[in-house]
Amino acid sequence: MPTNPGAHDDDGATKHSNSMTSGEANAQDQARGASASTDETLNAHVKGASSGASGKGANGHGKRRWPWLLVAAVVVVAIVVAVVVLRKPGSGQAQGKRADTVSIGLKLAPTNLDIRNQSGSALDQALIGNVYEGLVARDGENKVVPALAKSWEKSADGTTYTFHLRDGMVFSNGDKLDARDAAWSIDELVRHDYHEAESLQNFKSVTAPDASTVRIELSAPYANLLWALTGRPGLVLDREARYDPKTQAVGSGPYTVAKFTPNDSITLKANARYRGPNKAKTQNVVLRYFGDDNAAVNALKSGDVQVLAPVTENLAEPFVKDKAHFNVAAGDDTDKYVLAMNSKGAKTSDKRVREAIRYGIDHKQLIASRGGADRPMGGPIPSLDPGYQDLTGLYPHNPAKARRLMRQAGYTPQHPLRLRLTYANTYGTELGDQLRAQLKPIGIDLKVNVVEFSTWLQDVYDNKDYDLSLVDHNESHDFSQWVNAKYYYNYDNAKVRALYDKAMAATSDKERDRDLALAARQVSEDAPADWLFNYRITTAQATGVKGFPLNLNQVLLPLYDVTYTPVK
Amino acid sequence: MAADNGGKKVAAPALAPLARKAAVVLRSIWARGEGRFALVVLALWLAVSLISLVWTPQSLWSTDGYHVWQGPTAAHWLGTDGTGSDVLSWLMAGARTNLLIAVLAVALAGVLGMALTAAMVSRSATVSGVSAVLVDALISIPTVLIALILAVPMGASVAVIVIACGIGYGLNLARIARPQALLAANSGYVDSALANGASWFSVLVRHIMPNTMPTMTVQLSLSAGTAVLAESGLTYLGVGVPSGVPSWGHSLATSVKFIDVYPLTVLWPGLIVTVVVVALNVFGDVLRDAVDPVANPALREVA
Repeated sequence: MPTNPGAHDDDGATKHSNSMTSGEANAQDQARGASASTDETLNAHVKGASSGASGKGANGHGKRRWPWLLVAAVVVVAIVVAVVVLRKPGSGQAQGKRADTVSIGLKLAPTNLDIRNQSGSALDQALIGNVYEGLVARDGENKVVPALAKSWEKSADGTTYTFHLRDGMVFSNGDKLDARDAAWSIDELVRHDYHEAESLQNFKSVTAPDASTVRIELSAPYANLLWALTGRPGLVLDREARYDPKTQAVGSGPYTVAKFTPNDSITLKANARYRGPNKAKTQNVVLRYFGDDNAAVNALKSGDVQVLAPVTENLAEPFVKDKAHFNVAAGDDTDKYVLAMNSKGAKTSDKRVREAIRYGIDHKQLIASRGGADRPMGGPIPSLDPGYQDLTGLYPHNPAKARRLMRQAGYTPQHPLRLRLTYANTYGTELGDQLRAQLKPIGIDLKVNVVEFSTWLQDVYDNKDYDLSLVDHNESHDFSQWVNAKYYYNYDNAKVRALYDKAMAATSDKERDRDLALAARQVSEDAPADWLFNYRITTAQATGVKGFPLNLNQVLLPLYDVTYTPVK
Repeated sequence: MAADNGGKKVAAPALAPLARKAAVVLRSIWARGEGRFALVVLALWLAVSLISLVWTPQSLWSTDGYHVWQGPTAAHWLGTDGTGSDVLSWLMAGARTNLLIAVLAVALAGVLGMALTAAMVSRSATVSGVSAVLVDALISIPTVLIALILAVPMGASVAVIVIACGIGYGLNLARIARPQALLAANSGYVDSALANGASWFSVLVRHIMPNTMPTMTVQLSLSAGTAVLAESGLTYLGVGVPSGVPSWGHSLATSVKFIDVYPLTVLWPGLIVTVVVVALNVFGDVLRDAVDPVANPALREVA
């Protein structure tokens, strides 16, 4: 733990538990309100009954009723007052002046800061581009842009990459950053097989010919190398620094970690030694993690945080309405809600069934029910990844055609095909309910099993014991799952494998994108899955927040540009 | 109250004694305001459950993604939920699931409770001693924990709720009924019955069970209410009613996330659960008074 953890930690913890207890208190108030009104019904009932029977009884009841009504009235008034008081956003901050602290509400919390060993995109989100920097970075369109390396070249055969570093860079502890640190970092990653090392395919060696040049040699061309280097594999760490990577971070980025409370918050402080182009505009940024959606929404309402990403679109409704204080917008992402159909399953190995399911699903309606921000997708590659192509025309919503295919396969709505849909409870029950309703008229009786994520991992991912499965594959550049015959999809097509290999060996981005697009089209035509939609992240911000990235902000959240100027 | 019933006691002379007793009990319950409330609510519950088997305002399986979270309209009297389904239809259909759960849980609890009580007041010191210790030990396991353990092999299902509630409440029942059962088991009339050659089973049925009846009725009625609450809680945790089976817990669990945005949708299932649970608790109290010949003179006159 860094300096003075006690007081601050306690503070954070109390705040958190406060928000929780206020939620509970609300529930209690509500329950009390409900029981009070029940009492009233009860009393009203008694009154009606006894007035018919005898006057004495009615009097007796009347006397007893008053204190309760009074209590009920007090409770109601208290709730109304509390709501009115709490609704007022903004808590007396100075107007028109840029705040020196911005708090950001996020969802998934990292358990520790070890960027080398700890998996999870929460860590990439918090640290890459803020605390750690790589040779290259990616922009909001998922394209590779310069970072520590100001430029690079690739040899004609695509096996040698030479990076030229910026001058005069230092780590946050004062150590000089040069090519030797970069070469050491990548070398260590591969040698110790740190997290994501496997994404550096065909890697042969990394060297530092001089203090500002890094050279990476490959055994064969690999078209995704630069993009892979924008993630953890390309990070440059200080080879001389000694620190506990679980709780501390020494990087070269515009921010340093001032305080880390596992599963609760990370406080970032502007790095005074930073010399690069992305100088932090706000002195302190606090990343706060909310497991509970309602607690997160309340935090934004009360001004505890200025930004909330992601926020469930239906929950953002009050912010959408309150345009004077909030602004809600959706950004692009690479999340694919994949309804996998077991290609070797007893019932789903029949291509007609799989095609019927794709024709039977009304994607536009699914998207509308979620608020309308998500985008339909007809194939495995989302719009921010190379090889994207609009494939939504391949299997348009066509219930008549779906019914026909099911009839050919031997099933009708009267004698439906029984299928299981297994998915993790983190995605809610709504999607399963809607799919069941949509597939019923085409002759499929869908049994929805909403299970713990661990159960899904075991049954579907490991044992491949499933008919249909639903999961959000959020990774970018993840087409390789469709060429892995051992993956839980049970999908294998030699043509797709050949196209993918060709794309990865391509020496130009254009060739790569063309072959990937062809492969994606083939996968979609084979219907091993249906892509329900491309999830887009909804971000809600208080008016006055500027520079917060909307695209890809669950894996990539550069904060240097974020400012907050409180208004009214 | 007693005077009220006094006048009505000869109303149905042709009925068999048991039915006549039941009529008197019902009338005594109806005579009290809270009893009337409980009876009306429970009758409505039963009626809605039966109706929902053949008719609901909208099909349960129609979803409409373009009209989610709507307020009350002419087509959807209580609005729509997150999939665009009709909230009223789902609540009506949920009534039968919850009724089934409550009835089965109470039946299981009653059988288990009676069996354990019988064991605890057994004249064999080993059986009574061991069973008393066993009940005391098992009673410390929360119902939710039993449900979570059962859900591992069984998955989310109605059976999980019924078994968990049945076991949990059955243990409670046995613990609470034991003193009265013990009193009866050690009484002179049981001694004399046994001496006259009555079997242990007939003593249980004819002497011990009637003596524990007032406690049992209250406790079982409370258990029915708690079973309804448990269904909501367990379904919220994901180990209760599976997806696609209508229940009040399902309606609550799917709408509670949006309590800040669409409070009305949470209100309906919440209100129904509250009213039904209150009615069941009140019913138990009133029923105890009505079936106890000591407290209800009208019943003595029939007998």
